[in-house]
Amino acid sequence: MTRILATPASWPRILLAHADAADPTDLDAAVRAGAFDALKTAIRAMTAAQVIAVVAGSGLRGRGGAGFPTGEKWRAAAAASSTRKYVVANGYGADPGVQTDRTLLERDPYAVLEGVALAAYAIGATEAYVAVRAEASETIRRLEIALAAAEEAGFVGPDVLDSGWDLQVTIRPVQGAYLLGEETVLLKALEGKRGQPEQRPPHPTERGLFGRPTVVHNVQTLASVPWIIKHGSEAFAAIGSKASPGTILVQLRGPAEAGIAEVPLGTSLRELVGLVGAAAGGAGDRAIKALLVGGPSGGLLPPDLLDTPFEFDALRAVGAHIGSGSIVLADERACIVDLARLLSRFCADQACGKTIPCRIGTRRLSEIVDRIAIGTPKPTDADLAADLSADIIGSALCDHERLATLPMASGMRYFRAELDAHLLRSTCPAGVCHPIAVAAGTAH
Amino acid sequence: MADLMTRPDRELEPDQTLAERLLTTQSPQRPQSTPTIRIEVDGRVLEGLEGQTILEVCRDNGIEIPTLCYEPKLPGFGACRMCVVEVEGEAHPPISCSRAAEPEMRIQTQTDELRRLRATNLELIFSDHNAYCLPPCQNKCPSHIDIPGFLKQNAEGNWRESTRIFKRTIPFPSVLGRVCPAPCEEHCRRDEVDEAIAIRDSHRYAGDQVLKAMLDDGVDPPIPFEPQVRSGRRAAVIGSGPAGMSAAYYLLLAGHEVTVFERDPAPGGMLRYGIPQYRLPKVEVLEAEYESVTRLGGRIVCGQALGRDFSLDDLQGQGFDAVVVAIGCYDTNKLGIPNETADGVIDGLEYLATATLGLPYPGHAGKRVVVIGGGFTSMDCTRTSIRQGAAEVTLVYRRDMKDMPASGEVHEAIEEGATAIFQAAPTRVLVDAASGRVTGVEFIRNKLGEPDASGRRRPEPAPGTEFTIECDRVLLAIGQGPDLSWIGPGSDGLTATKQRRLKADAVTFATDRAGVFGTGDVRIGAATVVQAVAEGRRAAYAVDASLKGLDLSAIKVRQTLAEPQPEFLSIVPFTSEVKEPRYRMKAMDAEVRNKSYVEYELPYSPAEAIAESTRCLQCTCEAIGFCDLRRLGIEYGTTLKTLEPGHHQGAGYRSVTENRFTGVNHDYIRDDSHAFILREPSRCIDCGRCATVCAEVVGAACYDFMRIGFDTLVTTPLDMSLNDTPCVSCGRCAETCPTGALMPKPRVLQKYEVDESRCILCGICVDACPYDALRDGADFELAHTSRAEPQIDLIALAAVNRETEGTYIRRERDWTERALAAGRTIDPGRLLPVLPPSIAARSGNGQGAGNGHGHGHDASDQHGLTGGGAGASRAHHQ
Repeated sequence: MTRILATPASWPRILLAHADAADPTDLDAAVRAGAFDALKTAIRAMTAAQVIAVVAGSGLRGRGGAGFPTGEKWRAAAAASSTRKYVVANGYGADPGVQTDRTLLERDPYAVLEGVALAAYAIGATEAYVAVRAEASETIRRLEIALAAAEEAGFVGPDVLDSGWDLQVTIRPVQGAYLLGEETVLLKALEGKRGQPEQRPPHPTERGLFGRPTVVHNVQTLASVPWIIKHGSEAFAAIGSKASPGTILVQLRGPAEAGIAEVPLGTSLRELVGLVGAAAGGAGDRAIKALLVGGPSGGLLPPDLLDTPFEFDALRAVGAHIGSGSIVLADERACIVDLARLLSRFCADQACGKTIPCRIGTRRLSEIVDRIAIGTPKPTDADLAADLSADIIGSALCDHERLATLPMASGMRYFRAELDAHLLRSTCPAGVCHPIAVAAGTAH
Repeated sequence: MADLMTRPDRELEPDQTLAERLLTTQSPQRPQSTPTIRIEVDGRVLEGLEGQTILEVCRDNGIEIPTLCYEPKLPGFGACRMCVVEVEGEAHPPISCSRAAEPEMRIQTQTDELRRLRATNLELIFSDHNAYCLPPCQNKCPSHIDIPGFLKQNAEGNWRESTRIFKRTIPFPSVLGRVCPAPCEEHCRRDEVDEAIAIRDSHRYAGDQVLKAMLDDGVDPPIPFEPQVRSGRRAAVIGSGPAGMSAAYYLLLAGHEVTVFERDPAPGGMLRYGIPQYRLPKVEVLEAEYESVTRLGGRIVCGQALGRDFSLDDLQGQGFDAVVVAIGCYDTNKLGIPNETADGVIDGLEYLATATLGLPYPGHAGKRVVVIGGGFTSMDCTRTSIRQGAAEVTLVYRRDMKDMPASGEVHEAIEEGATAIFQAAPTRVLVDAASGRVTGVEFIRNKLGEPDASGRRRPEPAPGTEFTIECDRVLLAIGQGPDLSWIGPGSDGLTATKQRRLKADAVTFATDRAGVFGTGDVRIGAATVVQAVAEGRRAAYAVDASLKGLDLSAIKVRQTLAEPQPEFLSIVPFTSEVKEPRYRMKAMDAEVRNKSYVEYELPYSPAEAIAESTRCLQCTCEAIGFCDLRRLGIEYGTTLKTLEPGHHQGAGYRSVTENRFTGVNHDYIRDDSHAFILREPSRCIDCGRCATVCAEVVGAACYDFMRIGFDTLVTTPLDMSLNDTPCVSCGRCAETCPTGALMPKPRVLQKYEVDESRCILCGICVDACPYDALRDGADFELAHTSRAEPQIDLIALAAVNRETEGTYIRRERDWTERALAAGRTIDPGRLLPVLPPSIAARSGNGQGAGNGHGHGHDASDQHGLTGGGAGASRAHHQ
């Protein structure tokens, strides 16, 4: 099980508030700690519109990476006229190096279920799916126990809290690939089809699962909702940054330490790397060279951007994104071209193959980086990579192909000198790219 | 339409008739009305129905947005990203196939940005498109013969079928097999392996076998298409040269009555009077080939010259509905030097007119002859003069030898005893003052200057280099122009171009006089035989369309679309082939042939002919003409022109997969296992259309996306044979495939029987058949089937010489017998292939497309199941 890092006591705990519970699946203990209080309040004392208003007022944004305002999504889905609507909780955790969603589901399954119920109540849904990684057997086991207990207690299932409203929640283990982080792909997978994205608009809130209005949320988003209902939107909005309130789970990986932490959005990257012992601008005896922020399709940032706040808009402005909530530290032993090469190839290989710019374009991009790394670039390769990235983004269908260009783009933006060493002088300063390094005598 | 759909505002008037009430009453099942919306596209305001996508609205209004993965029967898929459009106020361009049109949207479809995105996508596709398109040989042939097609038949020894394929574009394989300069062979891809295929000699051999069978055993030559029933319209063709006779041939096949008028005592034009006997035997080859025209019912009237014996008024007065002027070029150009008209200076054509027939030209033997010129006429004059016993023959040409149009024959002429002088131009003819006879010619040396428009270096006289050749005779062969002196009273209304040629449209061949068409050398100036034949054939189709009352402007669009474009995709270099040199035809010894008029080339043996044709690499994609990828590639400039001179030396890109993004590409194995559908996955662009159509329309679900990432491929489960899937052989997948990845192979389908005792009239066969071989009849309507889709007339498609899916069906033999037996009639309205509505609208002929759709023909005319089917005992799909 992934380690939970110690965070300053001043940081609020919303998602991991009950992470220390002896048995997270013990419903009675959870209820004693306040689980389902928010649902009771909502069903007994609030209309659906009031729930939406509170969530919208809190400024909660989707934790899946894109940061779309949750309240807006709910309003759209609530306004859609359909006899059947769905709530989908994405607990798949597409990034293979990140365990945050799994950790949340295992440590506090009731918070997620309560969030699902609140979302369903708000938009008028009667069915909900919790998607979870099929190979995460412990997560599934805990979720199933929790769901059975919650149904038994009447928090979900038929006639929720004697309100006459039914909510059927299904746990759906899904298996697939990185692309399941894309909401339309996840919906396809839940429908039993090949996971390929669909053009938006229409958004899933209009035409989603089985063609019905659907809200798709990351489990962290949903787990934040009960806290908001309980403590009010002002209390939530006061946490984190103004544009991106609340907390989020991050997975930090440095040369010395690694683990998960719940952090307020807007915390600087410097503070975050400090959680894994790299606060002084170095990791152990080696200096930080780059931060990979956002997972495999994230941006490579230089240490002089350590003061960037970890939140949606600020990261996007510097060429990274929250993505899976992953922050990886690379020290001076790493070669940026090599990293960009690995990441580009991963993204290309994870393409679902539907669109031309993604299936062939991302692969060609990775081939360009390959050429640069092994010392056989064409003179135009840097420009070609930039042009190709622009055109991939221009005619992209889903975010995967747009973001697949990010490692290379951010690498070129911040580490141009290192790239030029490969491109123009066929040398790898870090001594990582082997054919070049051997030729130049710089290999370790 | 929109007005008909809406419910009438007023209440029904009591005095309305029943019919009026029925017309205004809507059935409860139908939508009462669909609100219309307006959007602005490229500055035009378009009206569409609510719920339509942007693409649908644009298509309905004749605006074409490129797409590769859109299948009109299904919702937009969004894989190809070609249909991106810009919507005002949106950052990312949405794809128009999936985006609903919303009122007041302002859309741009052709901005530079969008075109760049599309071009990038096409380049990416091509970088993984391990395939090829049009064979270079076919592309470079002026008449676009299906060269791999006839060579394949040759390789199997099917001379008759090979000839039939040849005759689809050129009626005279044996003639062209002797006189064609064979531009195709210069571009043969086999050249990259060892040597180019002997394409000309191969069709010569096949054509000769057919002629032999005709002359020896009376077997009719094969007919390329099923002749259509007689139209009752009459066409006159003036001139029986290659252009005129080709026009006559294809007009006869189109069902018209044709009379050919010839000035000279025997038909043939330049073929008879301009090409010597030793190159083209007149009786055995020329007359035998022309029999294929007379056997189709064509009449040839000799000794009748336009302007001398009859006028255009006369012909039109005699009831000819169309007159095709194909009188060629017979006026030899003038040198413009002193004493040009002296006694002994002879027009080369006049000389050949006698000499080519093997008749001695008066007083030629023993003379010293100078031939001026560098074309085929000059070569024929030179070599014939040798055969007629001239004491000394000197050929003089003003440019370098390699720039000579007939450079291939020079060595043979020199072997036979001629002298050739290059880079010299005549300055004056020397004349004996007393007799007025020629004594010699003074020349000046030329130096070569800058290249001119033809790419050849321009000859410039070098002062002080004059020299004289003594001679008794001068033969002028410096090019010809048409004789247009007949234009005038009785034949007025025609005009000449600035180059002194007959003015006629390059596509419709219409002259300024209604009902009169011009084609061949008279229109384009002296050219090769193969160009003349191509002219004649195209003119025939234009005349045919005009006789059927179709709009000539629509024909113009159709013909332009139908002719392969000069630009094409390059092909993957071929290196694995075993080297095997070309089989050359042997020639008689120079000592023997320079006295003989017998054909000097010795024909192939059958084994040699088969072996030579077997060398063909068959570089052809059967989807050519139907391939959307190629069409868009050409439109967006992402195809290559590797056959252009610079590329031929190995410069530049050599394969279609080579562009800025060249990288790893897939080389999949061809699946030939299924009887009717050929799968060539290397040509697949993963658009997914076959997968969706198979699953959603047919219900079989044979295909899906397999694997992920770059290796994704739309294929059968585990790439297994189609035979191992629930395939129902309906061919829908091949029909929807935008490239040649899935292709029908009905050649294998020999016979198809319907057991009517078991037929439940479900209509699925009618619905599924991609060829409309099976149809619903008059007394049987398929309630669930929409017949609004355009139906393409395959015969008509073949008539415009597209390499089409019709080609497959048309591989059958014996059209004539079948046609006679079936008494087939063709609705003239069906003869236009379906034009995209956008083009039909642009050509100013809204009916053009409508004609092609051909609703409501008499189903009993089809050689298939006639709906109710009670009458037809069996339907054979032969």
